Amino acid sequence: MPPALVVAGKDLRQRLRDRSAIVIGVVAPLVIAAVMSLAFKGAEQFHFSLGVVDADHGPVAAGMIRSLQSPGVRSVLDVRAEPSAAAASAAIRSRRIQAALVIPAGLSASVGGARPVSPTVLTSVNNALAGSVTESIVGSFVAQLNADRLSVATALAAGAPPGAAARLQAEAARLTIPEQLVDRPLGARPIRVISYYSPAMAIFFVLFLISYTSRSFFVDRSQGMVERMRAAPIRPLDILVGKALSVFVFGLVSLVVVAGLTTVLFGAYWGSPLAVGAVCVAMTISIVCLTGLVIALARTQRQAEGIAGALVFALALLGGNFVFVSASPDIMRTLSLFTPNGWAMRAFTDLSTGGGGLGTAALPVAAILGFSAVVAVIAGLLGRRAVTA
Amino acid sequence: MTAVAVAVASLRRVVRDRTALFFMIALPLVVILIIGATVRGFSTFRVGVVDEGAGRTGTELVAALQAAPDLRVRHYPSVGAASRAVARGEVSTAVVLPRGMDTDLRAGRTVAVPVLAERANSTQQAAAAAVAPVLAAQGARIQAALFATSAGAGSVDQNLERAGRLQATLTQVTVASRTAESRAQTLPEGFSYSAPTMLVLFVFLNALTGGTLIIENRRLGMYERMRAAPLGPATIIAGEALGFVVIALVQSVIIVATGAVVFGVSWGNWPAAVALIVTWAVVGAGAGMVSGTVFRTPEQATAIGPALGMALAMLGGCMWPLSIVNSVMRQVGHAAPQAWAVDAWTALLARGGTLGTILPQLAVLAGFAAVLLTLATLRMNRVIR
Repeated sequence: MPPALVVAGKDLRQRLRDRSAIVIGVVAPLVIAAVMSLAFKGAEQFHFSLGVVDADHGPVAAGMIRSLQSPGVRSVLDVRAEPSAAAASAAIRSRRIQAALVIPAGLSASVGGARPVSPTVLTSVNNALAGSVTESIVGSFVAQLNADRLSVATALAAGAPPGAAARLQAEAARLTIPEQLVDRPLGARPIRVISYYSPAMAIFFVLFLISYTSRSFFVDRSQGMVERMRAAPIRPLDILVGKALSVFVFGLVSLVVVAGLTTVLFGAYWGSPLAVGAVCVAMTISIVCLTGLVIALARTQRQAEGIAGALVFALALLGGNFVFVSASPDIMRTLSLFTPNGWAMRAFTDLSTGGGGLGTAALPVAAILGFSAVVAVIAGLLGRRAVTA
Repeated sequence: MTAVAVAVASLRRVVRDRTALFFMIALPLVVILIIGATVRGFSTFRVGVVDEGAGRTGTELVAALQAAPDLRVRHYPSVGAASRAVARGEVSTAVVLPRGMDTDLRAGRTVAVPVLAERANSTQQAAAAAVAPVLAAQGARIQAALFATSAGAGSVDQNLERAGRLQATLTQVTVASRTAESRAQTLPEGFSYSAPTMLVLFVFLNALTGGTLIIENRRLGMYERMRAAPLGPATIIAGEALGFVVIALVQSVIIVATGAVVFGVSWGNWPAAVALIVTWAVVGAGAGMVSGTVFRTPEQATAIGPALGMALAMLGGCMWPLSIVNSVMRQVGHAAPQAWAVDAWTALLARGGTLGTILPQLAVLAGFAAVLLTLATLRMNRVIR
């Protein structure tokens, strides 16, 4: 068997015997994915209950309530009748509903006159969006009433005879605002918490391989293992390839196992298996190169732990393993593209929402491999002494 | 006094360890910065806009969208780019202003303005609903201008201008808004959210990984040597506990001070904040000592500690407000001490609470501390003897 394989086999056996490696590589990302999956079960999509107090009982109130039950809106809110504004306020405070609409008595009658009365949205500071969405939906309905009133007023101001006001009002009531929003489906799945954070956590914990391996390299060296291997005699290159191979295999297996288990257990969707595999391979290669860089930079075990620790958390923070990077400010999204894990997260986001296969993953994979090549060259230039020392 | 000497010895080791200092101080501050800058927008929708050459009406519509208080607008060059952005969650929806929109509207043709939203996706639908009244307000002027022109009075351009003037003066049917619930259940957005939650997360997580101090002491036979000094088990345990509490307090003070000075976080009523910080430091100390006696190797503590710390932090509402998760998980989350600490910080920062307000949370946290410290003392006793 080639010496590199022997070195890799020994490293892998050693790692598997240590239960903390399994915990970091598989158990930890699964536990965190499980927590996320449970926390957001049924709470991921924006939805709220809206109380409606109808004191008007007229045609305008009926139209307003119908607009709150239109097909597009139905996925956003469900309407519950409330007897009075006081009861609706109490329901908001007890969190039974998240916002309420109070339609005042006389609204329908007042719409044609000079002093129309206004509906009121009752809101809660704990669900500002429910309040503003209700205001928007009612606002859209009211906009047609206002457009009709404005149409009559403009016609009269432009010189239509004042005696025609009643006829104009009747004609205006049949108008529709000439700009209308129409839904255009994206053909994309919504991004789900579990589908984002499963790869995010899998990658985060696989990044710890950098700390783990660089630390073990210096432990081996302090125990004279590297010298003994070289006396075997094994070329330094074989030792390096062996160590790199063990990191690669462990990292890749860990990512693939977490991908499989989160898919089966928590319903995460990572994307097309081939593309996911390609991103995982590229990501693991970058971890191998980063491990090489830490070994090349550090001179002692303590230094390796420090550099690796800082590197792992810097990458995880910038790459979007903790925060949902798509929703971050532009600067964060740009910075994430300077990290291999940031590119991997972008690939997983695109794969899990837009579908697509290797084509979708091609650019991220190329970017990760480019990053890895640069890191490998720097590590190679700096690191000859690490093995030969 | 001897216990203090034991504590000082532990502290000295931590201060000399630059890696430990990085995780104790630099990392929490960077995380507070990043999460504080990111976790915003619980009350606004991000909306994309693609202008395919809509003309003046399109430009006016974009300005109106930008002026809407609950919308934040981002521009995209093409429908493809906007669709990708919606799919990735960069924006909740996107509006496409079609080519020739201005000409078509003035010619009396109805214009369909596509909004990128899936029928089944309620977040996208809610964002689209927020865009609708802005579009309708503009459409109202156009409807009025066309109507007046068809009634035989003036040109479309003249009437558009007239409608614009009238819209500003005409009494409109408005939608009023009134706050029915002003008791905030979540921390304020931005750094006032990230600083207290990350304080809770990192003090606990740091204590768990700090268990390595005890593990290394066990491995090196430090406790046997201390016993030979001779020191009683009570002194050794008290010394170790004191060390953990002081480390947690130092870390807390640095986070609180940086939060106040750099990030402008107001930490609320001071006596209450101090009581909470001290109680949480004791909870952390208990957890750290349990970690030091339960885990066998430093690798176990540094591997399992962060994973456990993060999982409890997520359950306890440090990573997202527990008000947005389902009710079962809200209750399960309160099995973690973090949830009580975050509840107490929410009472202080969001509702101007005082020591009296957070007494129930402090009592529960004291209970957690008592259980953890008792467990730690029993385990330490076994380790030392």
